[in-house]
Amino acid sequence: MNNTIKNYSIFIILLAGLVIAIIMAVGFGAVRIPAAEFIDILFRGIQTEHSTILLQIRLPRVLLCLVIGAGLAAVGTVMQGIFKNPLVDSYTLGMSSGAALGAVISIVTGISFSIGGVSTTGVFAFIGAVSTLFLVYNLAKRKNAMSVNSLLLAGVAVSYFLSAIISFLMLLNQDNLQHIVFWTMGSLSLTSWSKVVISYIIIIPGILALLFYARELNILTMGDESAQYLGIDVEKLKRVLLVICCIIVGAVVSVSGTIGFLGLVAPHIIRLIAGSDNKKVIPYSALLGAVLLIASDTVGRTIIQPVEIPVGVMTSIMGGPFFIFLLRKQR
Amino acid sequence: MINQITLKELSFGYDDSLGLVLKNISLDFPKSGFTSIVGPNGSGKSTLLKLISGVLKSRQGSIQINGIDNMAIHKKEAAKIMSVVPQNTALEFDYKVMDVVLMGRYPYISRLRGETPKDREIAIENMKYTNTYHFRERSFNQLSGGERQRVILAQALTQQPKILLLDEPISHLDLQHQIEIMSLIKKLSIDQQLTVIAVLHDLNIAAAYSDYIVMMKDGEINSQGTPVEALNVQNIKNVFNIDVEVEVSVYTNKPYIYAITRNEIKKNHVKVHVICGGGSGSEIISNLYNTGFQVSAGVLSIGDLDWKISKDLDLKLAEDIPFTRISEDAYEANKRLAEAADFIVLTDLYIGKANLCNLRMLLENELENKTIFILGDETFEQRDITEGAATGFYNRIKSKKNTRIVSRDEMYSILNKAGASNE
Repeated sequence: MNNTIKNYSIFIILLAGLVIAIIMAVGFGAVRIPAAEFIDILFRGIQTEHSTILLQIRLPRVLLCLVIGAGLAAVGTVMQGIFKNPLVDSYTLGMSSGAALGAVISIVTGISFSIGGVSTTGVFAFIGAVSTLFLVYNLAKRKNAMSVNSLLLAGVAVSYFLSAIISFLMLLNQDNLQHIVFWTMGSLSLTSWSKVVISYIIIIPGILALLFYARELNILTMGDESAQYLGIDVEKLKRVLLVICCIIVGAVVSVSGTIGFLGLVAPHIIRLIAGSDNKKVIPYSALLGAVLLIASDTVGRTIIQPVEIPVGVMTSIMGGPFFIFLLRKQR
Repeated sequence: MINQITLKELSFGYDDSLGLVLKNISLDFPKSGFTSIVGPNGSGKSTLLKLISGVLKSRQGSIQINGIDNMAIHKKEAAKIMSVVPQNTALEFDYKVMDVVLMGRYPYISRLRGETPKDREIAIENMKYTNTYHFRERSFNQLSGGERQRVILAQALTQQPKILLLDEPISHLDLQHQIEIMSLIKKLSIDQQLTVIAVLHDLNIAAAYSDYIVMMKDGEINSQGTPVEALNVQNIKNVFNIDVEVEVSVYTNKPYIYAITRNEIKKNHVKVHVICGGGSGSEIISNLYNTGFQVSAGVLSIGDLDWKISKDLDLKLAEDIPFTRISEDAYEANKRLAEAADFIVLTDLYIGKANLCNLRMLLENELENKTIFILGDETFEQRDITEGAATGFYNRIKSKKNTRIVSRDEMYSILNKAGASNE
């Protein structure tokens, strides 16, 4: 019973945190919008001088932050579960860089088509994420055995390599520089409602699908072999989960560029307070990821106005030291 | 008898260039009962277990579980029939003991409904059985090695299997926990009629707990049978290339294996003949043998303790059937051995009518100049159960010029000097 109460309180605190973060994020900026006015505009439909800023700029941005943060955190949780290591996430395995490279290639080549309403950039980002993951996984794998160290090393190496290619492409395409920088640093400044809608359509079902496999993910912590003994088709499970992760990461990167360390930090904090059960860690991490990303973005765009710090820079500034802390603690 | 697991002409290699790890193995595991697979490192025993559990796929041959090919069984169904306890388990993310045990219910839990009270009941029952229930709320990674293995065993039992596979389940545990876990598994095999197949390193543990032993070498089955049948000196020498002594307990009929280091014995050319019987010569025979002397003994009754040791050490021996007077043939054989020896030892054996002529033999002319060591002179009267008939012989032996009444230590020290100068 005690556990149930604890669970509910964690959930309620996270939800309250999310609401507060949204209100703050909408309110703060070049123009301050008080909470009362926010409610007037949103719920009573009253037009004020800030209506456009709120409805066309800040609200979509905050909502996008929410779903991206949640998506990255859920993906981080699941990838840590798959690879049984708390240092793994979409960023450390180079998936984000791969997705960014995919996006950059679509920009510089100018290829443009649309598959089922998903933008070219999104498709390229997804392909980039999948192929990078595939590459890193196979680089790290040796004779059916894979050590997590080699996985991280391969991830870092591939990440560097891909970043170098992105830089090279930037050098050759000075015209698109601004656009490319956006992908590499991770930014939410070019938000539109259509991006918000597409992200929700892809990411929310993605998170729910991951949640669907929470029990299997728990068992995976016993080790791949033991998980098989307990009745799980481990290779199939990993493939399914990694594809879902790639779709989410592709969707995230195609609207926001690469945002680092969020997927690493959020699940870790949740595990410290709520334990390791993925039935809780996935949804709670998603909530925390949303809160953290909204907060980082708000700080990033208000702290040294009028300059806006890209959100990817903000999360890396905060996440980097945390990563080092985890690394040292692991030894 | 129904066989639950049947291996037919099974071969397996991890890599074509590295050759086969398992070669043409055919084997029936009996339904219920404890089978151990033993053998040196790299003999393929863990690989065999992984093939049975379905983690590895066989290239040639078949593995059938209750008549069905093991690869044709759906993973979840397989997990209901068979569970596996690995060497040791550590969790990267920590879970409570209760949660770990409940994972054993996975094959039974429907995705949408989640675990039922019945699932919890089964988990709790098995935790009580393995004595882990009292720490159900503790986190798994904080447990000791022995506690963890018990939790994993509880998890495996929560799968309600018919077959339990164990891959060196105790190799990371101390002696107390080894015995604890093995006793528990043995109990299970009896209480729940489980078929237990365990890969074990320790031959004595395997001997003590198994009903059946399969001994492997270089990917092949070298020998199999009950512990007494499989674990004999010759088989162990063939498989492990070590010299051992095997003692079968008269209480349990289980063999116990001692490693011996006979290679280090420095042989000498001194021959010692020991007149003994009833266990009076055992220690002397093995001590002299293990310090390099060429030992013979006689006349010994077949089945006598001294006789058994002499046989085990493959000594030259004068023997006769028990409870009868020593025959002429045995007497002569004994005499020949005594003649050939450099020293004769008369141990503190009991002298009765049956073995009286062992004393008489020492007075033969041919042995006139032999050195004879007499042990236990002070107790001779108590050991004479011939109502005085032996005393005459005994006193005449004592009065011979080369007879010496000595303690064991004195005897060893004289013999060792002789041995050292005659290597």
